Formats: sequence, C-alpha cells, structure tokens
Amino acid sequence: MTHFSWLVDGSIVGLYLLATMIAGIMVRKYVGKVEHFLVAGREMNVYLGVASLAATEFGIITCMYAAQNGYKYGFAGATPGILQALAMFLVGYTGFCIKPLRDAGVMTLPQLFQVRYGSFIRWLAGVVIVLGGLLNMGVFLRIGGEFLVVVCGFNLRYLELTMTVLLIAVAVYTIVGGMLSVLVTDYLQFVVMSVGLIAVTILIIVKIGWASLAGTVTQHYGAAGFNPFLHADMGWQYVLFNLLNCIAIVLTWQTTIARVLAAKDSRTGRKVYTRTAFFFVCRFLIPGVWGIAALAFLTPAMYDRLSDTMRASQSLYAMPLLLSAIVPVGLMGLLVAAMLAADMSTDSSYMLTWSSVIYNDILAPFRRTIWPEKKGLRWNRCIVALIGLFLLFYGLWYKLEGDLWMYLQLTGAIYLSSMSVLLIACCYWKRANSWGAGAAIACGAIVPIAYLAMQQIPHTQALAQRIGANMSGLATYVLVALAMIIGSLLKPAARPTGAR
Amino acid sequence: MELFWQILTGAALLWYSTVTIYVAFRGARDIREMLERLQRTADEK
Repeated sequence: MTHFSWLVDGSIVGLYLLATMIAGIMVRKYVGKVEHFLVAGREMNVYLGVASLAATEFGIITCMYAAQNGYKYGFAGATPGILQALAMFLVGYTGFCIKPLRDAGVMTLPQLFQVRYGSFIRWLAGVVIVLGGLLNMGVFLRIGGEFLVVVCGFNLRYLELTMTVLLIAVAVYTIVGGMLSVLVTDYLQFVVMSVGLIAVTILIIVKIGWASLAGTVTQHYGAAGFNPFLHADMGWQYVLFNLLNCIAIVLTWQTTIARVLAAKDSRTGRKVYTRTAFFFVCRFLIPGVWGIAALAFLTPAMYDRLSDTMRASQSLYAMPLLLSAIVPVGLMGLLVAAMLAADMSTDSSYMLTWSSVIYNDILAPFRRTIWPEKKGLRWNRCIVALIGLFLLFYGLWYKLEGDLWMYLQLTGAIYLSSMSVLLIACCYWKRANSWGAGAAIACGAIVPIAYLAMQQIPHTQALAQRIGANMSGLATYVLVALAMIIGSLLKPAARPTGAR
Repeated sequence: MELFWQILTGAALLWYSTVTIYVAFRGARDIREMLERLQRTADEK
C-alpha cells in the first residue's frame, strides 16, 4: 500500500515540473554561442556551482545504489562517500590538476590532451569518455523509473511511459538552453531535492529510531557493518579501489569537471570543490540510512508487493518499498518531486556533458574550418537529442546483473582510470607523450570490458567471480599507469631544434 | 564505531540543512548576476 495521492502529491509534483520547465526554457534567450551552450559563457559563480554540482551528482540512481550499499553493508556502505569527500576537498584545496585544466581555457578534457598528446589522442580520449559515460548513464532511466513505480505504487506497465515523459521534459530544456538551463534548473532542483531528502531522513530516524537502525546493522553484519575493513565483501581492496575511483571522478568525470570549466576562474572552480566536498558524505550516508531502515522495517511479506524480477534484487528495491510504506501523503509529493529533481538534474547534465565531448572532440576532425555559431549550436542540440534517444532505447533493453554500484564503477572505470592517468601526466610529467597515452587508453578500456564480458559468458563467470570487481578495478589502474610510463619511455625523445 | 556513524549522520543532516538554506539565497544571487553579465555582453556586441 502506497501513500501517493494524485490530488495532493500529484499537484506538488506537477507544480515542481512546471516551475522547472519554465525556468529551463526562459534562459534560452541568453544562448547565442556554443560557449554559452556548453560552459554557460564561463560565468558561473561559487554558490550556483555548489548547487549545480550537488544536484548533478545526486540522482535517483545515486539514491538507489547508496541505499543498496546501506542495505547490504550497513554503515560501512557509506565509505565511498567519505572517500569522495576527502578526494574532492584535497583536489579543490590544492588545485591539483583542476587549476591547470581551468587555466587552459578548454571546454572539455580531451581538448587539453591535444596540446601534449596530439589530435588523435584527443579524438580517442573523446571516444572512450563518451563510451564509458553513456554505458554508465544507460541504466539511469530504468532504475529511476522503477523507483518511482515502487514508491508511487504505479503499475509496472507505465514504467516506460514515465521514463519517456521524464526524458522528453529534460531533453526539451537542455536542448534549448544548454548549460545555462542546466545551471538554473539545477539550482531549483538542488533546493527541492535537499528539502525532500532532509525531511524524509528526519522522518525515518524519528519513526524507526537510531537504536533500531544501529541494532539492525549489528544483528545482520556485526562489527563489519560499521567498519569496511572487516566486511567480507569489502576489505582493503574495496576501500582502495573506491579511493582511486573517487580521485579519478573528481579529476576527470566530465559532469563534475564541467563545473570547473564553467566557473569564472580556477579560484572559483576550486572553491566549488572545497565547499561541495562534504555533500558527498551526505550523498552516500542519507540514502544509506534509508537502506538500513528498509532492512530494519520491512518484513518478508512486504516484499510480495515487488514484481518477480525486482524480488530477485531485493537489496536494490527495499528502500523504495520502505518509502512507499512510511512516507505520508503530502510529504510523499515532496519526496517524489525531490527525486524527480535529483534525476532530472543528473540526466540534463549528463546529456549535455557527453554531447560536449562528442561535438568538441569526436567531431573535431570534421571541423577543420571554424563553424558559424548557429551551425555549432544546431549540431550540439541534435547531439543532445540523439543521446536522449540512445538512453531511451538502451535503458529499455539492458538488464542489470549484480551490484548496481559495481556496474557503475566498472563502466566508469573504462575511462576513469586512463583519463585520470592521462590528465596527471599531462599536467605534471614532461616526458608523457602520445605512445604512453595510447597504451594507457587501450589498457583502461580492455580490462573493464573483458571483465564485464567474463561476467556474461557462462564459462568464465566463475573466474570473474574469483577475481572480483575490486581486484579487476585495481588491476586496471595499475596497468594503465604502467602503460603510460612504459609507452612514454619507449617513444624516442623529440630531437632539439637544429639537431641532425 | 557506532558512535562515529551517529556523529557523522548528525553532522551530515546539520551541515546539509544549513548549506541548503545558504545556497538557496546565494545561488539565486549568482543566477541573477550571471544572467546580467551575459545580457551586458550581448548588448555590447
């Protein structure tokens, strides 16, 4: 039984959607150039950046995997949030990589690579970034739709329709206003999302009680539920792999660094990072508490409401099931609006940033002459629309196997490992060159893809399980770094000018 | 360790509530200023 009321909660959601669409479309008149569309004319200031970064990095998908972590690992499941907060604060405070990146005045990461590694590596980096990013984003819609279906008690048949309507709404304002619409709607979405998240968390803690939450974790996982190093499924490999991934995300995830690139200057970009850092603890801990609450509150009979497919991934759908049971009318509307806000801000940013890489880097060889701004804008808008179509179809047929967070980590690792190594070497190692970069990109893509393939092929499933996603991820980073070093050292150094 | 998570959860809720209110005000100002600057640049051209 869900508490979603069409009259009360539906009105709240409708009002929120209307306000977002109006705000998103209204700023279209300020978009006159590709630079406005992709990086908001580099006019973003600190607090808008904080709102936008936080809203972008929290979607329904985030809420689902963080809650799943809480359900499966207890409080220890929030460890990636602490690691990411640390990584973001340190990078923001020191300006490591992001300062030279913003100072270079580029619009995307691969554009910076062209200076040191040449145009082929720029193009290749663009392909890898888009491939990794789109595979990663491919599961967003379905998971988001499933969340809404369970929380609101809709029939599962309407999932595709809900997803499609949501995506069209997001696509419309992203296509017309680009980054400017994304920033303005992100701001609204941040406020709505935050109010909803805080209110529901307080409700859960008051209703279930801290003692019951902690007791449930102790009962199911013992000390390992509080300490990731003691957990059988986590351990040092999990912590180390997550730490590396968090550093790489902060340095190279296109949606994250898009805020640095859109900032007024590198100082503003760094402030956005340091001031948003602690949000990443909330990002994992708040849904993590919801997941633990689901473990504490739900009885086996309550899971009967889930479809057969969903029951197979009980840990993933327990949290929305809990919310449908305990959030009252009125607050339910705020919760759904908050989660829609979270999802829309993520989708719009993701569509825009991957499109920026396609336009700026993958299509770069076809733009030998400078395109008129109108033509550039038209292409960017078409690319955003095509990404929307891809998401719709990929999201409909891809069936997720295993742990959602690990899927996202692995698909992200296709580019995170190689791009972070390329960026660090580009900024701080003069000997780095195109051979090293090419080898690093190849290793960074091959290892995660091979692991994903091994998981799908029946003959290699057991081996994949023995290796484990954490070790596969760690191996990727090590191999990529070695590939960069060896490849760069193997390439003969360029002769000084005038030498024979 | 339980105490650590209890304190962290409390701190997260307190920080998040405060930041939401602060960013709601300052972010609106940032949007207004950003759009004014873009309008000014467009007018100059």
